[in-house]
Amino acid sequence: MTDLAKDAKPVAAATPPGATVRASTAAADVQTIPVWQNISNVLGRRLIELLVLLVFVSSTLFFLLRFTGDPAAVLAGETGDQEQLELIRKQYGLDKPLPVQYGIFLIKMVQLDFGKSFANAQDALGLVFERLPTSFTLVLIAFTANLCTSIPMGAWLGSRPDKTGRKLASTFVFVAQGIPGYITGLLLIQLFAVELRWLPSIGNQGPQSWIMPAITLASFQAPQVIRVISANVAEAMREDYIRTARANGAGFSTLLWRHALKNAMLGATALIGAQVSFLLGGSVITEVIFAWPGLGRLLVTSVQTLDFPVVQAAVFMIAVFVYLAIMITDFVFLLIDPRLRRQRA
Amino acid sequence: MSSVKESARAAASVAGKSGDTILSVNDIVVEFPRGGKSGFRAINGVSFDLRQGETLGLVGESGSGKSMTALSLLSIVPLPGRIIQGSISLRGERIDNLPVNELRKIRGKRIGMVFQDPMTGLNPVRSIGGQLTESVLRHQNVTKAEAEEIAFKALDDVGIPSARDRLKGYPHELSGGLRQRVMIALALINHPDVIIADEATTSLDATIQAQILDVFRVRLSKATLIMITHDLGVAAEICDRIAVMYAGRIVELGTISEVLTNPKHPYTVGLLSAVPRFDVRRPKLVPIPGTPPTAEDIVRGCPFAPRCRHAQSKCEERPPLEIVDGRQVACWFPRGSNAA
Repeated sequence: MTDLAKDAKPVAAATPPGATVRASTAAADVQTIPVWQNISNVLGRRLIELLVLLVFVSSTLFFLLRFTGDPAAVLAGETGDQEQLELIRKQYGLDKPLPVQYGIFLIKMVQLDFGKSFANAQDALGLVFERLPTSFTLVLIAFTANLCTSIPMGAWLGSRPDKTGRKLASTFVFVAQGIPGYITGLLLIQLFAVELRWLPSIGNQGPQSWIMPAITLASFQAPQVIRVISANVAEAMREDYIRTARANGAGFSTLLWRHALKNAMLGATALIGAQVSFLLGGSVITEVIFAWPGLGRLLVTSVQTLDFPVVQAAVFMIAVFVYLAIMITDFVFLLIDPRLRRQRA
Repeated sequence: MSSVKESARAAASVAGKSGDTILSVNDIVVEFPRGGKSGFRAINGVSFDLRQGETLGLVGESGSGKSMTALSLLSIVPLPGRIIQGSISLRGERIDNLPVNELRKIRGKRIGMVFQDPMTGLNPVRSIGGQLTESVLRHQNVTKAEAEEIAFKALDDVGIPSARDRLKGYPHELSGGLRQRVMIALALINHPDVIIADEATTSLDATIQAQILDVFRVRLSKATLIMITHDLGVAAEICDRIAVMYAGRIVELGTISEVLTNPKHPYTVGLLSAVPRFDVRRPKLVPIPGTPPTAEDIVRGCPFAPRCRHAQSKCEERPPLEIVDGRQVACWFPRGSNAA
């Protein structure tokens, strides 16, 4: 022990040149900085990125919308004459040259003012905020259902992929991945709403009506995650550190849950993050099928009626939330993988 | 350096400990089934005894069954391989036929193992302290705080600087040499009866290799150790006895000085002539002609016979491991003896 204490210091000093030098000086004086500090570092950079993104998305959308049609014609209806059209255009500022309209739009956007809905003269952003809780309810339930099935299922399939039962289950998951959400949705409605009459098929009427839309969303997202997790778990279970843990007496469940799964989640996190972004972006088809009063359906109806302010406000908020989801995904990465955390010299 | 080892051994023999058999491996066969055909025998009848405080070297080229022997001692032979014959006893109790729950009490507790590659052998996303205490908490009846203290001492013991901070750290923050020290600490942490080091220095560069060998020499001078290596130099520095393996069998087993200075088996002779030496002037290195049998080859008789200059018709029968001049040799015509 005393010999070793003497021998301990030169270990770092006597390391040969190259990459090992960095690693062994790291051993002497570099400390991993806390996770929260990594997060705050990332946060600042991310906010600037978000601003650039919002201006870009809103501007593109602004011009694309102007090509889709004339909202004044929609508002005036079939009976509207030229005079009425002019009046409506003037009222909503659509008579001004496009660059001027764009300038006004940008200035108001900075103040988070997207104008009033063409359809019902309500504040566009207010309309969007009204829909958020309903949308988020669905996103949260679908996300939870997704993780609660895909993590255990993926771990189970990946831990012993060669067993007959699991091969069958894997095939099932593979097939399930190919079934589009609207098919599942329609089948669920037919079975549980029309035949059995257990669940309401449309609208948001409390927890009962959350079940089918959430299952519909989870049913096509979970198979993707299951496949990624099971492939990653299967690979992790062959790694050297699993053998090390096994040689130290770790049982199967320890190997799987404590050693393999955390490594497997690294690959799945990116996918799960992308899926949440997708859900936030308005699970349009699902919301339409279930007449779910969420953001996705608001977006569809506003596009159909050329309700520019509402479309702009909705896309703006979706962009913000998608970006937040990506940011949170990055933080989850930092939490799971110590190798991504930056070190302080 | 070797004086440390010798004095330790002297102390051990004074205490009357030396000579007790700790681990006894008796004629084990590890087979990997192949559809239809007879299985491939990665180990084909290996036997040896390991005595208290001695270091036994297992040497041989890749695929000779060294690592498989080590894995079979812990019954962690990769599937679908399994031990189909023979017995392994630890302090007189058989450990090869135990149920998994009992085996787990031996792994890491009574037999500790250091693996070859320290870069991949530790879990990258779990803290070093977490991986060490996991093993302590599994095998010792201690609290979490006590386990952390044990983990700290284990790291400190193998010469890791600022060991206390390292517990919170992760493997990627350490160099290969330090990671291998962590692996050694992990193998030693529950004070096992036997330590197996499987190519523990192979993947390290030369200076780090020397440092890790020092850890074995100094820290483990009294330990009962199986040192698996293909490096005869490493074996010569560390081991008391050496077993030369070829094609899943031990072909020669004796004290290190006997085997290295006066090899009896033609394979050992060939192995030694293929080692570069700087202390003896020699015209050139002599490679062993041919290649070892692969899994596809059907081996009858002596597996080395096809590559052996001295092979005769008798070599079509399998030679038993017999005592020749104080060591065991599996050859019908051992070199340098009257029989040849």
